[in-house]
Amino acid sequence: MADEMKMRATLQGDVADVKVLMTHVMETGLRKDSKTEKFIPAHFIDHVVATLNGKTVLDAQWGIAVAKNPFINFKIKGAKPGDKIALNASDNLGTQYSGETTVAAK
Amino acid sequence: MTAGKPYLVWPVVLFGALSVLSACATRPEAEKTRMAPLELEKPASAAPWVRYKGWPSEMWNEYSTLAVAVPSTLSDPIKFDGPITGDPKNGEKLAFDRSRGGGCVACHVMGNPIPPLPGNTGPDLSEYASWGRSDEFTFNYIYDHRKIKPDSMMQPWGAHKLYSANEIKDMVAFLKTQKSPAKFKDNLENPNTRPVPVETRDNFDPFLNEAMAAVEKGKGLFSKEGAGKKSCASCHTDPGSAFKAWAASMPKHEPRLNKVIGVEEFVTRHARATTGEEYLMQSGGNLALSIYLRFLANGQPINVNTASAEHKQAIKRGTALLNRKIGQLDMSCADCHTAERGANKWIRGQWLGEFRGQIDHFPTWRTSRSEIWDITKRLQWCNVSVRANELWPGAPEYGDIELTISALNNGMKLSVPGIRH
Repeated sequence: MADEMKMRATLQGDVADVKVLMTHVMETGLRKDSKTEKFIPAHFIDHVVATLNGKTVLDAQWGIAVAKNPFINFKIKGAKPGDKIALNASDNLGTQYSGETTVAAK
Repeated sequence: MTAGKPYLVWPVVLFGALSVLSACATRPEAEKTRMAPLELEKPASAAPWVRYKGWPSEMWNEYSTLAVAVPSTLSDPIKFDGPITGDPKNGEKLAFDRSRGGGCVACHVMGNPIPPLPGNTGPDLSEYASWGRSDEFTFNYIYDHRKIKPDSMMQPWGAHKLYSANEIKDMVAFLKTQKSPAKFKDNLENPNTRPVPVETRDNFDPFLNEAMAAVEKGKGLFSKEGAGKKSCASCHTDPGSAFKAWAASMPKHEPRLNKVIGVEEFVTRHARATTGEEYLMQSGGNLALSIYLRFLANGQPINVNTASAEHKQAIKRGTALLNRKIGQLDMSCADCHTAERGANKWIRGQWLGEFRGQIDHFPTWRTSRSEIWDITKRLQWCNVSVRANELWPGAPEYGDIELTISALNNGMKLSVPGIRH
């Protein structure tokens, strides 16, 4: 779902600098609705996997400490122009999100 | 469908709702010249207005605001026989202290050594002792300059209770120690050589500008159906072409409200009258839609009407407001933002821009506050910064000012959402 994830990968030498911006509420489950006084149910991304041409290069478990609309920035060694970098994320309610980008030449 | 029932309360809105229903899907040419349906009764912002959390909570009720001009009570000059004695050390401390209205160094170069990043909107006072001014003159100028030089952008420090008479005597004593030309560590410290800040960040890069997320949020809200199963997109089927230039022509005088309203208030009232959705001014939804509607007009030159009778009057009112001295600091917008006065100079480390160049990027992302600010919030912050009570977001004075500043920016291209410190 392209709307929920923006990705960019730029190459410096053989290192790809990958930036990903996700749109997600990241509700902790600890906040109360000011009108109803009830807890807002937890809804957050808890698993993030990045792949380079299908091979996993990053596997992270996330928790409620990550802010709303998370931003993740990481580097992959040995990347070439044209390589495909994908990011798959899932939240505690089981919704899947994914984004893909091609490494741009510098 | 029960949507007709509440509309009966306001005949104007009923008419508006019907015209929308008939206009939907096709929206013929004739419909476009008709007035857009607006809800006209309720306040467009939270009422009663309460200042934002995290802002100074102080109220300055005894001083002028943009809505109320309190006549200034000029104090009579105080007579002194002979020289004024005071504590120059304490005077220096007060002159450098930023916590009580900014301190002298906000506008004047002074001190030995000079404290970091002095401003230059006022004259360099580092050789004041040789100016040949009497102590009595200096005291009275600081206490209440308005009797001596009414057009100065100085603050009536004593008359507006920012400093006591004894503290001002200490300042006079300190000024008498200012005998040698200012020596600056480097070009940065000297306000006359300090490089002018230029915003070079790409405001359309979503990785840099968090407000870009609001464009998509606004796009989503545009097709979100309200209770009546209608969304903005039901009528405005092609927003890209329909709003290609609309935002650049705002704000406009609205005869039914008898005031000038901008995109933000229009969104609130038009949504109430059509989809029934509630987008109070300053809410996230209102900002998102306002940003989205301006985003569609990006690149268009600002083109507000300056010719109609209503707009001429509004600009006349707005110009008067821009020149009204307000707040405990007794400053007008023009004091800081016109080239004849403080603009293109520094107050401490902050650069003061002219009116032209101040509106093309609003609503803007403020990196120093991690918030989206629309022009109203920016004006409210200016008010609070000069220690004047801000007005509520839908205040007609802000409409007049927005139109007046926009008129000064006519021809500049919209670039929304902006990004600023």
